[in-house]
Amino acid sequence: MKQGEQKLARARMGRMERKKTLIAYSFLAPNFLGFAIFTLVPVVCAIALSLFEWNGGDISRLRFVGFENYATIFNVKKVSQNGLAYFFNRVDLGIALKNTVYYTVITVPLTIICALALALLLNKIRGAVVFRAVFFFPYVASMVAICVCWSFMLMKDGPINHFIMALGIDFNKSWTADTTMAMWSIILVSVWRNMGYYMVIYLAALQGVPKELMEAATVDGANKWKQFLHVTLPQLRPTTFFVSIMMIISCFKIYDVVAIMTEGGPGRSTKMLVTYIYDEAFTKVRYGQASAISMILLIIVLLVTIIQFRSEKKFSND
Amino acid sequence: MKKMLSVVLAAVMMLSLLAVPAMAEDQVLTVVTWDATTTPYLLAQKEAYEASHPGVKIEYVDVASQDYPIKATTMLEGKDTSDVFMVKEIDDIIKWQAQGFAEPLNAYVEKTGYDMSGFVGTEENYKVDGELYAVPFRSDFWVLYYNKDLFDAAGEPYPTNDMTWDQYADLAIKMTKDGVYGTHYHTWLSDVVNWTVADGENTLADRNYDDLLYYYNLYQKLEDAGACMAYSELKASGLHYSAAFANGNIAMMPMGYWYVSTLINYHKDGTCNFNWGIAAVPHADGVKAGSSFGNLTGAMINQASANKDLAWDYISWLGGEEGAAATASVGARPAYVSETVAAAMSSVEGFPTDETSKGALIPSFVGMEWPVAEKVADIKTIVNEEHSMIMAREITPEEGVAEMNERVAELFE
Repeated sequence: MKQGEQKLARARMGRMERKKTLIAYSFLAPNFLGFAIFTLVPVVCAIALSLFEWNGGDISRLRFVGFENYATIFNVKKVSQNGLAYFFNRVDLGIALKNTVYYTVITVPLTIICALALALLLNKIRGAVVFRAVFFFPYVASMVAICVCWSFMLMKDGPINHFIMALGIDFNKSWTADTTMAMWSIILVSVWRNMGYYMVIYLAALQGVPKELMEAATVDGANKWKQFLHVTLPQLRPTTFFVSIMMIISCFKIYDVVAIMTEGGPGRSTKMLVTYIYDEAFTKVRYGQASAISMILLIIVLLVTIIQFRSEKKFSND
Repeated sequence: MKKMLSVVLAAVMMLSLLAVPAMAEDQVLTVVTWDATTTPYLLAQKEAYEASHPGVKIEYVDVASQDYPIKATTMLEGKDTSDVFMVKEIDDIIKWQAQGFAEPLNAYVEKTGYDMSGFVGTEENYKVDGELYAVPFRSDFWVLYYNKDLFDAAGEPYPTNDMTWDQYADLAIKMTKDGVYGTHYHTWLSDVVNWTVADGENTLADRNYDDLLYYYNLYQKLEDAGACMAYSELKASGLHYSAAFANGNIAMMPMGYWYVSTLINYHKDGTCNFNWGIAAVPHADGVKAGSSFGNLTGAMINQASANKDLAWDYISWLGGEEGAAATASVGARPAYVSETVAAAMSSVEGFPTDETSKGALIPSFVGMEWPVAEKVADIKTIVNEEHSMIMAREITPEEGVAEMNERVAELFE
């Protein structure tokens, strides 16, 4: 009798569990459906497409070419003759890779430093709410408007050059028309735009730094700088890790600022991976090659994500 | 009150349902084009066609001009059923033909006995393996615009139809004073160096770019003399040539013929009020005066269209003499050339009345801005990239041209 009751209870539990699972799935379904239709399927198609030659038109015009697209974008023939330097200085893909990495390596730490500095400044001061809103504003403003405004500010006779000249530095050129400064103008705009967003994340993280630790440090005679270095910074480690990973991924996908401010120029000095993909796919209508370049981007982003998943435990404070 | 409102709404709905079948008698032809609301000749063509073809309505699908090739291609790939697509660049039609979007037209030409002699051979650019895929209706070539008031004030003679580039440069430098720029170059490659194709031998796809050097040096000489706005400033500010010239402080500007209709309109709406004229673009030594380069605009029938016969009627009308008259009536230059059309062009209200301007309407030769050639899309990218480096003075013209030669050669290895 007792056994029967137990069985019944277990069965009821099982049914309830199943029901719960079903409900959970039904909540997940719309999101997953959207993901599948708009992300998963296109990604799988792009992987396949990178092995085909397809210059648009009917699907029947697809022609299987194996790894030929990859050989073309890496310019294997010339690179094997002339070495890696040739790849990074002459081949479009090499240049785009070099530029994108350069942009990422500068932008990520710079944004983190600015965001963290802002967060620390605005953590306690009076009127912080107003300033927080001010620094967050670029993040919600229209990218096109931001880029156009910055283009004007960075012109030859623009306010920024006037300021620089007043400091005694001789720079009399539009930033976006200079091969070195064009990249820096893109970095500048990106940092300026994104620091407010990451500041908010840091502000939240700062609330989580235990007061006791700070008090203990004060009692031990640590000054403000030492407190920051040995208490605050380690406490923020998981946030910094998360922020860097997110930013690296978004940096590799940079497109809008470049498209509006420099169009990849002058020459190829700000050509990025995504602008290169756009150019191949939509101006030259070579979807196969464009997909092959996308695969390079996918591999890079995937590697970063794997590193994130692997090291998440190590960097979390538990 | 609410009840009455709903009764009224219901009545309106009923009426609109009744109205639909009454309107459906009109056949609608959808035409994909760019800047439909701001381009005067499109409105003139629509008006003239609808007037001479009762029962047919033209409906433009408007796309922003700089995105046109990409968006139109995307539409075609998405099996859009618009009847007619206008063709902005010659290589668009080559691309669309290869993708199977363009209806072959030879059969229509034969069936209707379509006379193409007025195109003076330009329709050849729309042929692939002898089959016609589009009908040209506009043929723009480049002329030199000038501000008569500025020349009068400076006491300098107006530009003529037989200037050389060196004479033009001297004149531009002479005209540069008191805030007046002697000339103006838009940031395009075409505005600075395309002149090299006016000799009928060079093309921008001939894999040798040494012939561009002369024009880059000429440009840099003018920029150094302050005779034109600096490229890097124009690029950063995005100043449009139409506004720049309309500002009234630019003495000369080489630009496509399409700008005539813009200028006429600017004078009508009061955007500017100076006297202006056109002259033939200068020529290089040894090249016939009046030589220029240009581009074709045409229309093709979408393979997926359900009204192909009507579409043919429209595009053949558009390219033919009646369509040409409509195009010319607002100052645009039709592809169809005849005495009547030339007279229509110069008699447009607002068109300059002097003999030089009239003479500039008949170029002695028009080379194609970009030829149809193998890998021309890649060549365009390379030449434009190096162009931006030279123009921003990141490299010298010699270095840039050497790069063009080398990179284009690599394409064909």
